[in-house]
Amino acid sequence: MTDADPLSLAIVDDDEAVRTALRRLLRAMGHEVRVFASAEEYEAQGAEADCLIVDLRLPGLNGFELRERLRLRGCSVPIVFITGDGGPSPSDATAHAGTPTVAKPFSDGDLIAAIARAVSADAHLR
Amino acid sequence: MPAATNRQLAVRLAVGRALGRTRDLDDIYSAALNTLAECLDVSRASVLLFDPDGVMRFKAWRGLSGEYRAAVQGHSPWTPESVDAVPLLVPDVTREPSLEAYLPVFTREGIAALGFIPLVSLGRVIGKFMLYYAEPHTFNDEEVQLAVVIASAVAFAVERGRAHEGERRSDSPPGYEPNASVIGPWEWEVSSDAPASRHDGLPSGRLRQVRQCDIETDRDCLKILDLDGRLLYVNPAGVAQLGVEDSSTLLGRQWVDFWEEKDQEVVEEAIARARAGNIGRFQRPTRTLAGVMKWWDVAVMPIVDANGVVVQFKAVSRDVSAQWRAEAFQAGQHQVLEMIATGAPLAQVLTLLAHVIEDQYEGLVCQALLLDADGTHVRLGAAPSVPEAFSRRFDGQPVGPRVGSFATAMQSGRSVIVTDILDDAQWVALRDAAAQTALRACWATPILSSQKKVLGSFAMFCETSRGPCREELRLLETAADLAGAAIDHHRSQEALRQSEERNRAILRAVPDLMFVFSDDGVYLDFHAKDPTELLLPPEAFLGKKMRDVMPPLLVDSFSQAFERALATNEPERLEYSLDLSHERRFFEACIVRCDTDKLLSIVRDITDRKRAELDAAAQRQELAHLNRVLILAEQSGALAHELSQPLAAILANAQAARHLLDRTPLDLDELRETLDDVIKSDKRAGMVIHRLRELLKKSNAVLQPLDLNEVTREVLDLTHSDLLLRRMPITTALSPGIPPVLGDRVQLQQVILNLVINACDAMSTVDPAERELKLTTVADDECVQIAISDRGVGIPEGALDSVFDPFVTHRAEGLGLGLAISRSIVVAHRGRIHAENNADRGATFRCFLPLANGTADGVGGRDSVVAMMPPG
Repeated sequence: MTDADPLSLAIVDDDEAVRTALRRLLRAMGHEVRVFASAEEYEAQGAEADCLIVDLRLPGLNGFELRERLRLRGCSVPIVFITGDGGPSPSDATAHAGTPTVAKPFSDGDLIAAIARAVSADAHLR
Repeated sequence: MPAATNRQLAVRLAVGRALGRTRDLDDIYSAALNTLAECLDVSRASVLLFDPDGVMRFKAWRGLSGEYRAAVQGHSPWTPESVDAVPLLVPDVTREPSLEAYLPVFTREGIAALGFIPLVSLGRVIGKFMLYYAEPHTFNDEEVQLAVVIASAVAFAVERGRAHEGERRSDSPPGYEPNASVIGPWEWEVSSDAPASRHDGLPSGRLRQVRQCDIETDRDCLKILDLDGRLLYVNPAGVAQLGVEDSSTLLGRQWVDFWEEKDQEVVEEAIARARAGNIGRFQRPTRTLAGVMKWWDVAVMPIVDANGVVVQFKAVSRDVSAQWRAEAFQAGQHQVLEMIATGAPLAQVLTLLAHVIEDQYEGLVCQALLLDADGTHVRLGAAPSVPEAFSRRFDGQPVGPRVGSFATAMQSGRSVIVTDILDDAQWVALRDAAAQTALRACWATPILSSQKKVLGSFAMFCETSRGPCREELRLLETAADLAGAAIDHHRSQEALRQSEERNRAILRAVPDLMFVFSDDGVYLDFHAKDPTELLLPPEAFLGKKMRDVMPPLLVDSFSQAFERALATNEPERLEYSLDLSHERRFFEACIVRCDTDKLLSIVRDITDRKRAELDAAAQRQELAHLNRVLILAEQSGALAHELSQPLAAILANAQAARHLLDRTPLDLDELRETLDDVIKSDKRAGMVIHRLRELLKKSNAVLQPLDLNEVTREVLDLTHSDLLLRRMPITTALSPGIPPVLGDRVQLQQVILNLVINACDAMSTVDPAERELKLTTVADDECVQIAISDRGVGIPEGALDSVFDPFVTHRAEGLGLGLAISRSIVVAHRGRIHAENNADRGATFRCFLPLANGTADGVGGRDSVVAMMPPG
């Protein structure tokens, strides 16, 4: 996966600075990016995406809850969790259930690797 | 009080001097106006008296127009029958309805305020004097008392002047001048063809025809003496004055023998002068043959024959007893006042007073009795001429109606005249004792203070059973008045002495240092129980300016405190420290104004207390810090999140920039925006770190004006992600534009942080959908209130009071210090905090902090809150 292989990405993060910076980074890398300030906002717009980048700590529904709802609805969009702190521990296998997680601050490489893992896991599941 | 009585004495003496010597009514009025101007500082005044028809008439005035006098002539608040007249004071004529009719007159005359002071003699109003003011005038008590003192002296002088004028009118034929006619030798023409003398001693001859009528009708005692000084003739008036039936018992006797032995030389001398053709004059007392002591003004002159040879002498003696008595009384009164003024013992003053009165009338004895401090018993003041066995009985008698006129007078506050003490119910209890004396009548009048309080009574006894004559009554009044002044003065001096003694006792007991300063900061005096406690020897500061003795910074503080103390008349407190050779010591000065233009500074060494306070405060500070560390430890996850957000944004932006640089063409606008965002996020991260550092730092508090809304927002920023994670929905209602409070930012953040954490803990077991954390700020005139309200489990009944006690906690985590420390911080900020359960659910903690402008006093700009913390 390179710049020449653009993806459609959705970012859900309540922190505007983080949201804006990630959008800028991923767009500079050639991806198509849409941003949402909360899980509810994302759900309401029902956007299609190749991968969902979700902050774990959100007002309203948190990252895990959003994932549960998507899965219950039968939506299997690949997900990457990003997290700013402990919260549910990234090593908590049950909570993460195999969803790739990167801790802020992260480099573009880390993020792209996580996205790649999520997408390929999804492909593998299919 | 002492100042007031001293002033009254001074006025009495001045009035005595002004009115004492004069007997002429016009002179009395003029002296009265002078005294008013001098003693009351009132330049416009008048004296008015009732005329025989009871009409009030102007007698003398200053600063009044004829028009005005005509307009108000006859107006009087009193009639000649008025009793118990008291001064009427009109501070503002426009506000006195009873004078409304005179308003235009007052306006034309420029009179805005008035004083009506009654002239009272023997209880009746005889006239008044008026004080006029061009501006509204508030009369103070002292002024009124002085006016009354002057009025009483004027009334006395007027009555005496009137009596004197009456005497002159009735005693003397028109044009008669006392003894003036005897100036110069009579030309006594003796006819040569007649015998040199007749049986009546009058020379015969032509002149006799002319003069006999005058001589025989003369009111003076007129005698003709032969050249050996034997009485040849005494006129009818002389016979009567000497108290004999007719002149036969007198004639042929040596005139000089009628005088006291010690005075006979003077008499001989006067005769010798007459023999030499001159006039001999002298004034001497002697008893009449009836035994009455009289003063005589005597002129002896020669009678010459046609050849100018002295053949006989004429001696004219005028009875001047009344005048002499008045003068003696005047002098005596003056002496009494001088004695009072010089602080002579009360008993001595009253004894002299009794003598002065007794000297006025033979057969009168006087006594001054005092009302005991208990108000119910009689104490002997002075009774120098009353038989001691009798007067001793008075002492300790209860005030009442049956123990003598003097006690009745004290009880009733009125004069009591008993004409026969052996036959009057008022003397029942002392009748047997009275019977042992020759005294039969007793007239008593109450002695009143300048505030009209009964101090005692003055009584006159007389050996005949009778009532007092007018003159005696007046004397009694005067005596009571003087006795009142004496007792008043004595009591105030006594009060002063006691107060001084008390002050000295206090000074002996007080361990504090005291310094007296002039209003410009010069050390005038000091008191030190232990002089070694002084930091400098007295000679190093007495007489010197504060500026030359104290450190400059301290001088400013003291100067400001002096100014405030002088302006407000309230004590000013000042805390300061001095670095002495090996240690810093703390002092507290209490500065009060004294003697109108001086300042008293009472200085106490508070080092021990201060150190205890500082120790306690340091401990609190330790605990407060521990509390913050614990909070931050608990919050570490949230804090990491607060920090990782901007760091994530920075890294993402930086890497985005690298990608952007690889593109062509370069999107410079996008790059610039990216870098701006990097800066913004970095600042945000820096701020988080700064706040963390502040909270973790052990630093002294810094007081500054703070916007509590801002402090609240900072706390919410810090806890934002934690609240998010813990699903604590937060609402705020921060009143815009609330006034600043004076406080330490970190400490107030800590309070709010503790209260927020406390509220979240209380809601942790509550369903997230029902949670609500609400922060409200409101301000009133005195303080800003911040309320933190939750919908948690509430505070158990009975624990509302103990919730702020240390180590009381209702949750598993923490030491239970949060609320205790919050309270100590709030109290140190001179605020208060309390908890209450909400009506429906949860609890609300309210914290009140005083406004910055209201707390500026006593808290220095960089002073430490720690220093304000109460000890213990």
